[in-house]
Amino acid sequence: MLDKIFCVDDDSITLMLCKKVIERSLFAKEILTAQNGEDAIQYFNDLAEKYKLDKTTSYPKLTLLDLNMPVMNGWEFLDIYSELGYPKIFKDAKFIVLSSTIDPQDVNKTKNYSVVIDFLSKPITKEMLENLKNKFL
Amino acid sequence: MKLYIFEVMKNYSNKIALIYVFILMFVALLVHTVSLTYYNTTSDNIAPSYYIKDLIFIIISAIILKIILDRNNERNKSVFEKLKITNNEIIESNERYDIVAKATSDTIWDWKIEDDSFIWNKGIQGVFGYKKEAIGKTSKWWFDRIHPEDSLKMSVKLYSFLEQKTEKWQDEYRFQCADGSYKYVLDRGFLVKDKEGKPIRMIGAIQDVTKQKSEEQRLRLLETVITQTKDAVMITDIDTSENVIPNIIFVNSAFTNMTGYEAEDVIGKSPVILFGKKSDILELDKLTTAIQEYEECILETISYKKNGDEFWVNLSMLPVTNKDGEHSHWISIQRDVSEEKEKEREREHLIRELTQNNKDLKQFSYITSHNLRAPLSNLTGLLNLIDDMTVEDPELKEIINGFSKSTHLLNETINDLVKVVIIKDNPSIQKEKVLIKEIFENVFNQLSFLISLNKPILKIDLEEVTILNINKSYLESIFLNLLTNSIKYKEPTRQLRVTISSKVVSDNLILTFKDNGIGIDLVRNKDKIFGLYQRFHNHPDSKGLGLYLVKSQVEAMAGTISVISTVGKGTTFTIIFKNN
Repeated sequence: MLDKIFCVDDDSITLMLCKKVIERSLFAKEILTAQNGEDAIQYFNDLAEKYKLDKTTSYPKLTLLDLNMPVMNGWEFLDIYSELGYPKIFKDAKFIVLSSTIDPQDVNKTKNYSVVIDFLSKPITKEMLENLKNKFL
Repeated sequence: MKLYIFEVMKNYSNKIALIYVFILMFVALLVHTVSLTYYNTTSDNIAPSYYIKDLIFIIISAIILKIILDRNNERNKSVFEKLKITNNEIIESNERYDIVAKATSDTIWDWKIEDDSFIWNKGIQGVFGYKKEAIGKTSKWWFDRIHPEDSLKMSVKLYSFLEQKTEKWQDEYRFQCADGSYKYVLDRGFLVKDKEGKPIRMIGAIQDVTKQKSEEQRLRLLETVITQTKDAVMITDIDTSENVIPNIIFVNSAFTNMTGYEAEDVIGKSPVILFGKKSDILELDKLTTAIQEYEECILETISYKKNGDEFWVNLSMLPVTNKDGEHSHWISIQRDVSEEKEKEREREHLIRELTQNNKDLKQFSYITSHNLRAPLSNLTGLLNLIDDMTVEDPELKEIINGFSKSTHLLNETINDLVKVVIIKDNPSIQKEKVLIKEIFENVFNQLSFLISLNKPILKIDLEEVTILNINKSYLESIFLNLLTNSIKYKEPTRQLRVTISSKVVSDNLILTFKDNGIGIDLVRNKDKIFGLYQRFHNHPDSKGLGLYLVKSQVEAMAGTISVISTVGKGTTFTIIFKNN
């Protein structure tokens, strides 16, 4: 079981679904959410401040990231996250793109980001999380 | 020899005079002796005086004789001198004639008109190949060898000359050779007349002009290319001292038609007059550079007619060399391409518009499907959550069931549509070598539930190793759809039989898929069978997408699909792929 999982999606029902499924499959203890990429960056910024002072500060090892979001979409988030050097700070933080996109280019694009370990289609299911558990934990 | 005669003659005059003196003296002596004997006169007193008298007389007459002889001699000598010169002249002239006859290669004939005797020189043998004995001796022989198409025209001209209506005679006609072929000749003749001015002799010289004639014909033919062509042709010199583009020395009539400039308007001027403010400066630069480098050049630019109208010209400049290999002229071929340009512009505009529309539509279909998929995935997710919960209320349970079924159907439809969008968007799909057998195994695994339920008889007849250069997932999807259709639309009263076979015919791989199901009424549905959302049977799971997908996938792999079907008997699909 993960300590923290971070879900980034503009759709509140999707977030609610994520919470429910994660809770029921006992995938993570704490579920953090953000409404778009900018909020998520803000979250990592705050976390980085704390992390500077205290290296034992815990951070989410897994983030479920939607692509199509207002203000800042998933791609922009990944770019800025890399630019800010967070992959080096939060060494164990991995991302899974969870999207309803069908554009095959999007699937290919995820391969350009080393922090992204998988591309999953919505909706999130218990089976998916079981698979991840086997792979990840 | 002649000189010797003159020498001899000169000596003779002296000898004759001497002999004359001796003979007369002998006669005088004889007479005196006789007269002395017969008349018995005393010769003592008479004789010496008579002798002296006779002697003087004889000598005087001998001197006179010698003078006469000498004078005669002189006259003869001058006559001989003249003869000698004339003779020499004749010899020289004969030699000259022989040399000329050899040098000209002309065939010379000599026609004595009165007795119709006709003599040829050796040219008739050398040029026309006649054997000496085959050569005729009358004018008929000559006439008989003139090409029938030329003989009438030729004889009219010749007789009018003989009747001295024309001053000169020369004619071109075809003259037959010994081997029967004809040579083009130029025949020139003149008349020899007697004192009354009546023609008695005609002498002619025949020149073989076959080569010139055929060259002339060839050049005339080549010339028609320039004069008759619809393309404008322009020739310029190579002098760039005055203008960067050298001056025009020739234009054809197509040039005049295209530009409105007559030849005299432009000859001696630079083609620069064709260009104006809208002409493409870069293209003209290209042209001047090419001219400096003596290189071929093709360009397209707006040009101006004489009346100022614009037109698009396609212009090529080609350097040509003389026979010494020196650059001598530029040849330019030009064509009015305004219409093509206009069409090209329209086409480009259309393509741009279509590309944009297509892009918009693609974007639209992605967004639509995404926007549909996002809430749909939520619905599916939420229903998954309910699955784990126990619902007591039977009415609520029924409602949730219906809700769940509809959601799944909607999800399938959207997924199918998404597939279509992806196929249509990727015409150049990834291809790989695939074993057809493997694909069938996959398909049967996926349909194991349906197969076990319906227990069809599957007859699979595949050629041993069939490897296709094809997209694996497409082919899987094609077989999956066709097999699902066969099962879905089987005739309920009889056992389903499906025959799948593959064979290679020349360069094509032919796949046939045959069932004994309920069939499709092709008379009514021929155009619709592979259409989107076309359904032919009232079947609960039918969405009208399967065959549309199959066709899209076959075509995306550059294949073709056709169908034969009889209602109540079954359906056969034939798929053909180019196997290269």
